[in-house]
Amino acid sequence: MWIKLAFLAMFGLCAGGIIAAGVFAFLAIIGVFPRLIGKTGTKRHIMLYETVIILGGIAGNGMDLFEFPIPVGGTWALAIFGAAVGIFVGCLVMSLAETLKTLPVINRRIHLSVGLQYVILAIGLGKMLGAMLYFHMGMGM
Amino acid sequence: MSKSLYLKLNQISEVHEKDVYLKDVAELYSDDPAILAKCLALKVKKISSDRDHRYVGSVLDVIGLISKLDPSIQVENMGEQDFIIDYQKPRPPRLGWEWIKTAFVCVICFCGAAFAIMTFNNDASVTDVFREIYRMVLGHEAEKVTVLEMSYSIGLALGVILFFNHFCAWKVNTDPTPLEVEMRLYEDNISKTVIQNDGRKESGIDVD
Repeated sequence: MWIKLAFLAMFGLCAGGIIAAGVFAFLAIIGVFPRLIGKTGTKRHIMLYETVIILGGIAGNGMDLFEFPIPVGGTWALAIFGAAVGIFVGCLVMSLAETLKTLPVINRRIHLSVGLQYVILAIGLGKMLGAMLYFHMGMGM
Repeated sequence: MSKSLYLKLNQISEVHEKDVYLKDVAELYSDDPAILAKCLALKVKKISSDRDHRYVGSVLDVIGLISKLDPSIQVENMGEQDFIIDYQKPRPPRLGWEWIKTAFVCVICFCGAAFAIMTFNNDASVTDVFREIYRMVLGHEAEKVTVLEMSYSIGLALGVILFFNHFCAWKVNTDPTPLEVEMRLYEDNISKTVIQNDGRKESGIDVD
């Protein structure tokens, strides 16, 4: 019995370590954080940001697996969390699209020369509309 | 006799003054202290407009200026061939605003990391997999929270700290952290793009 439990503990430990490396390497390499840091010009605090990412990962995982209640904040905390996650996912999907060079390829194919800013605005509005429809229609249910 | 001057241009230099001297954008070495002093104080650019802007210059213009100063100097370029002068208006430090921005990015980092790991756990049905493994090993159904979840959480924490190479100010080893590396790459790409865009437009590079 104890050997089996020790095996499970070892198993969980290794799984956690490998998955952390995978998920966070993805986050670091996809370029969301460097962009945010570059835009705000706060390179001095890079260590602080990493510490915050570490804490966020640990807290998120704990909340997800153990489902402990958070007694503070209520709706306001949810609103802030939602807005922050929205910004993050918005950056993430565009980073993904950019890593795959979607826009440059389309630009080359159809020789789009003016109005790139409107294309980007359209992508943003489309994403917003899509997200609203998704939640309004309850597509995820 | 010609005297050698070794010139090492920085790829990008941030300046706050409108008169840009060679010492602001490059490192120099020469055996002759007089030449060194003369060249360090050589003005490479006078910025006329007031707004923040990135100006691109070429080493050829710098060599031209140096040989105008003293034709007997032999310039050896050891650094970049194109360089960027990043002019930013001198402005008082706004610490409050800085910290607001930092807090903003912190909130996004925290929530984003939390969200990413939650979506991963749900996507991969980590809890279901754990229940399966628990049943395989111990032969009976798992209660709500098992040793697997707990050790997984600890392992995850250790993994992230190892990956980012530090926790707060304590570092695992002396390597730069992954975000520092990514930040460097990002800035290098920006500099490269600025230089190449400038070349494409073929706008006259005015160094005066």
